[in-house]
Amino acid sequence: MSATVTEAPIALKKNYLSALKEALFEEMAGNADMICMGEDIGLLGGAFGVTEGLQKEFGAHRVMDMPISEAAIIGASVGAALNGKTVMAEMQFIDFISCGFDQIVNMMATYHYRTAGEVNLPIVVRGPAGAYGGGALYHSQMNEAWFCHSPGLKVVCPSTPYDAKGMMKAALRDGNPVLFYEIKELYRKREIEEELPVDDYIVPLGKAAIRREGKDVTFVSYGQNVYHCLEAATQLAEEGITAEVIDIRSLVPLDEETIVNSIAKTNRVVVVNEAPMTCGFAGELVARISDSAFEYLDAPPVRVTRMDTPVPWAKPLETYVLPSVDKIVTAAKRVVKF
Amino acid sequence: MSSTSGSATADKPKSEDSSVPQRPSEALSKDECLELFRLLYLARYFDVRLIKEKKRGRLRGTLYSSHNQEAVLVGSLFGLQANDWISPIHRDMPAFFLKDIRAGWRNPERKGMSIEEVCCQVWGKVGSPGRARDNWSHIGKRDAKIIHSTSMLAGTIPVAAGVVLADKLNGGNSVVLTFNGEGSTAQGIFHEAINFAAVHKLPVITIVENNQWAYGTPTELEYSLPDFARRADGYGIPGLIADGQDVFDVYDKVMQAVEYARAGNGPSIVECKTFRAYGHGDHDDDRAVRYREPDQVEKGRERDPIAVCRKKLIEKGYLKGEAAKKFFAEGKNAAEVTDEDFPPEVVEYLKEGIEFALKSPVPDEAEGAMWVFKENA
Ligand SMILES: Cc1ncc(C[n+]2csc(CCOP(=O)(O)OP(=O)(O)O)c2C)c(N)n1
Ligand SMILES: [Mg+2]
Repeated sequence: MSATVTEAPIALKKNYLSALKEALFEEMAGNADMICMGEDIGLLGGAFGVTEGLQKEFGAHRVMDMPISEAAIIGASVGAALNGKTVMAEMQFIDFISCGFDQIVNMMATYHYRTAGEVNLPIVVRGPAGAYGGGALYHSQMNEAWFCHSPGLKVVCPSTPYDAKGMMKAALRDGNPVLFYEIKELYRKREIEEELPVDDYIVPLGKAAIRREGKDVTFVSYGQNVYHCLEAATQLAEEGITAEVIDIRSLVPLDEETIVNSIAKTNRVVVVNEAPMTCGFAGELVARISDSAFEYLDAPPVRVTRMDTPVPWAKPLETYVLPSVDKIVTAAKRVVKF
Repeated sequence: MSSTSGSATADKPKSEDSSVPQRPSEALSKDECLELFRLLYLARYFDVRLIKEKKRGRLRGTLYSSHNQEAVLVGSLFGLQANDWISPIHRDMPAFFLKDIRAGWRNPERKGMSIEEVCCQVWGKVGSPGRARDNWSHIGKRDAKIIHSTSMLAGTIPVAAGVVLADKLNGGNSVVLTFNGEGSTAQGIFHEAINFAAVHKLPVITIVENNQWAYGTPTELEYSLPDFARRADGYGIPGLIADGQDVFDVYDKVMQAVEYARAGNGPSIVECKTFRAYGHGDHDDDRAVRYREPDQVEKGRERDPIAVCRKKLIEKGYLKGEAAKKFFAEGKNAAEVTDEDFPPEVVEYLKEGIEFALKSPVPDEAEGAMWVFKENA
């Protein structure tokens, strides 16, 4: 979305999925100690094709097709990282990460802490996430809050091809375990394709991005909801309300400064998140805002989230429980009129 | 090393109850054998119709075809009693209407789903037992003794163990069949659940539908055994191998395991060797040709279960003359087959199911927020 139109041929534009793939190819090429583990990532090239061609290029010893065991994938990543490797571990869908939960929260997350810094684990656990595509209960989840609640894990979620590539590279070089939420509905979305720099670049973890400037209300979100916020901002502009849209990109660590600075200007905030409301990251954002930006607020902060339900399959039900542009517009008007 | 089950790879449970016959299928009547044949057509036709509907863009979600694997479903379900339980997974859609179908395809009392209920589920309509809250095979029905499946591979095996534990506590003697792909056996919960069932001798029969591929991963990268059934040795339970293309052999092996379990001896694993005809799901059909060698696919599909059954019925003298030459659905892909290749009652049955589903409404949006908790008045 930050793409600037130039004379360059259209072919140079990359989608979100190709951006991720490029990051993996480049990091594998640049780091002989990097390996990849996952279900169907080699021969098949991944369920969505993120690792397509990777095994051909780097060999089956570095791009491993794993038995269907998320616990073994994550546990083995920890062991390999303990012994000097950098690991990309793929979850075929982020929903299945629950099968590796113990290895993540009790083994991986705590390693650095309990070894008093002796061991650090350069691991990226990545996988397709998010609803809105009719994936139903087990192919729609945004379960990032589970891991934000486990100290020792970084948690990120890019929304553009530029960020997908830059943050993947940053994550692989970070030296800490990073949970990398990829938005599958964005993988091949044409409207967000953009040119990527030819030279190596990273997008540092822990820096938010302002996607649109405004002065009446701040929208804080990440993932697909960023686009819902942008559309809501466009609609609100027709009624004379200008919204600033912040894409936090990184949940842990969180760039509070960008959020607080925006609220200092707009004095109103709506947090949007497709995960369920109770104990979701939206609640954490509101709590941080109350701590750090209370004196700027002219209205209580408002959350627009999924209802406290799973994601149902039938389309009318799915739409009903998820945040939408309409729900964001309504919430924005409420805080503006408060 | 003491071995409770001896070489569990042997084709029969080492049961104290040696009355379990080796070939229970020999006791099947001519009508029952012909019914098995018809049910293979029914399972195949269901798959074929859905593939066609999907190709026309009329269905949402992913279709996991059971083409070429029908004998596993038909053969293992046929001998169950009404009160036995089953736990199907993604590739087993026909199991929902095949359960207890011997009680009559249209018998409203039977302990299975009607074709209308199953079609409503596929079309995302309110008439589905799950009211279209989750997709495709992610349904179940307690009254029909069908455990509700999720996406989480092997995730219902411990649930199945709990179900028969409860029956046992209530003095019942039901058994449960859980269906699993061979790839799903790598999940930790597969082990944890079967170990528990073995320790407590619970009547849990694990059917492993070994179609030789788990999505894009071949068996040698899933487990390091020539015959998966040998995994049973580690639990001290019988591990049986069935020819998954032969409905009679599947029936025999599953019935051995069922009778063994019903007699109180505990769980078994039944590995049914078969082959996945198409891609993992319909989204994968085009990619699968890139990771599977054409001759492997050809070989894997050589013994269509309908053809194998036809041959046996001819040998038994149950199919003769013109009747033996009718309805040649075998060996044909969904695109090649027509309604004329199937018995008319099979076509009619599904037609009624689909028509019902098409007329059914989609659920009201507000259902999206219902049933998170049981409401206490
Ligand atoms: C815990 C878990 N991990 C990954 C998946 C994704 N997945 C769905 S089906 C499948 C392959 C299953 O192969 P197999 O068990 O052999 O069954 P088949 O599809 O061949 O019938 C995978 C990896 C899942 N559903 N659940
Ligand atoms: Mg399989």
